[in-house]
Amino acid sequence: MLQCHVKGCNANNFPLELQEVVLEQEEAEMNEDFLRNMLTKIEYDALVATCLKLDINDLPAAIPADAAYNDEFLQILHRVILETHIKSGKMVCPNCQHNYIIRDGIPNMLLAEHEV
Amino acid sequence: MPLFLIQFAQQHEEFRLPELEALATIENVQMTYEPSAYSLESPFLIVEIESAEKAALLLNRAILVKTIIELWGQGSSWDELIERVKEHPERWPQYLQTSFKFLVVTFGGTIEMKDKPAIINRFAFTGFMGKIDLKNPEEEFQLIADYGIDPNVHVAHTFYMGRLVGHGKRELIDKFNVKKRKYIGNTTMDAELSLIMANQALCGPGKLVYDPFVGTGSFLMTCAHFGAMTVGSDIDGRQIRGKGKASIQSNCEQYDLKGRVLDALVFDVCHAPWRRFKGGLFDAIVTDPPYGVRAGAKTLGRKDVTKQATEPRMAVNEGVFAHTLPDYVPPTKPYEMSEVVADLLMFAVKNLTRGGRLVYWLPTVTEDYTIDDLPTHPCMELVANCEQAFGQWSRRLITMEKVADWDGETGLGLPTGNMNKSTTGPKSQGHFGFRDRYFAFSIVENARRKKELKEAFAKGGAEGVAACMRAFEEKKKLEQQMKELQLQEQS
Repeated sequence: MLQCHVKGCNANNFPLELQEVVLEQEEAEMNEDFLRNMLTKIEYDALVATCLKLDINDLPAAIPADAAYNDEFLQILHRVILETHIKSGKMVCPNCQHNYIIRDGIPNMLLAEHEV
Repeated sequence: MPLFLIQFAQQHEEFRLPELEALATIENVQMTYEPSAYSLESPFLIVEIESAEKAALLLNRAILVKTIIELWGQGSSWDELIERVKEHPERWPQYLQTSFKFLVVTFGGTIEMKDKPAIINRFAFTGFMGKIDLKNPEEEFQLIADYGIDPNVHVAHTFYMGRLVGHGKRELIDKFNVKKRKYIGNTTMDAELSLIMANQALCGPGKLVYDPFVGTGSFLMTCAHFGAMTVGSDIDGRQIRGKGKASIQSNCEQYDLKGRVLDALVFDVCHAPWRRFKGGLFDAIVTDPPYGVRAGAKTLGRKDVTKQATEPRMAVNEGVFAHTLPDYVPPTKPYEMSEVVADLLMFAVKNLTRGGRLVYWLPTVTEDYTIDDLPTHPCMELVANCEQAFGQWSRRLITMEKVADWDGETGLGLPTGNMNKSTTGPKSQGHFGFRDRYFAFSIVENARRKKELKEAFAKGGAEGVAACMRAFEEKKKLEQQMKELQLQEQS
């Protein structure tokens, strides 16, 4: 859902590449309504690609046609987007190489002075 | 359709109807009432709703509704009320055997304990034979005497009788009480208003709600409480991280909302990294923009644009770029209130889903405020505008709904208030330069006191001054007492 927003960085600025990440799994209540809401908002290909880089390979390569009521798929999606947290690491823009640092689970998306 | 009597809390009066309307929307309840029958000076409103079951839905998350009763009659005296209730004996039989109790309720007056049984006994004609259970009755019947808010009136003017449908959720105010919250800041919004805002935003399961000025995260909690997934951001990461064990995260743990409060990120909403999604990413935006009194709004950049770097700067004595250092904090400049509000509305136009709501606070100088001050956009419709007054200034809770998709071009409607600081111009917006004008009030107040003291000295010398000081103290004490009294009444 995040893209690089450095001034002038308008192409190839998504998805941000995760590097040196420390992941944490935490159980969360299942919320199918929310997952369905997000289905249309997520760039699915970007999500799959990002997950693969983190060795999370449970997601099918393409979004199932019956995704909205496919229990198995929703369960996987739930685990990936709601139960997997990034404790620390960085997100790197594939274009301008800006590093967005994640510390204590809080991403710092502030731009430097020359980037606004 | 059956009639129901709503008893609101007698406070935040301007917020009551908008909240009720929001609740009806959330629960999909058809409700009609006579708008002229509603008054800010009365807690009572009679509404028509299809059934008691539907009426009960309105109570699921109501903050400003105390109770709803199924109305069995009203009159200008107990006698008349009894006549009215007697006109519908068909209502009584189904409660003949249930356990029950009668409760005498008054507003703006009192009925002594010893007089209550006699009043209740006058309703014996209903013929209820069930067990009287004062603690856990299956049904509660209320006898209400309304004396009105005028403290000099000692006679009730309207009487109601009805069957209790249920109570609102005012206990949530206590649950989210900031005094009991582990992590708060000096701008943390009080619990009651935070909860009302969540209702105004139609927060519910499945929705994604965003607060771009998240601070200590009050709205993340209250919106998540009603089932929404919430995310926030702030230009100041210190607020999000908190101190030691107290942080937004610890508040999530305290309220057991960890799975719903998704994330808090650090960035400037003027330079937001959200990927633009055509249908809109957020189902609601709920926020309290910093208006500069206790915490000033900031945006990235330098006040003096000529000093703004366009190339990376080297860190002093480090041999690396300054912005790559772990503790780098980019420079920020003040962010004028009128710009904050305009940018916020434009952000909502771009990022809300259709039907999504923007709920935000607008501080204004009371004297200068007009409805034209609100920035407008053809995609956004004003749903409610509720004032919380503080004398010379007030803040308004603005609720807008996105009613059309954005064409990718249209900007904000022309603000009709004068944007220039010039005082010779026709009029400035009530929120323009809010911070400076807020502080100007205290300067004026101070000057007034000095003048009074001077006069007191001229009249009575040192003793006169002392008397004047005592009068100030007395007034301050009185105001404090009034405030406490109000608080007590509320609870």
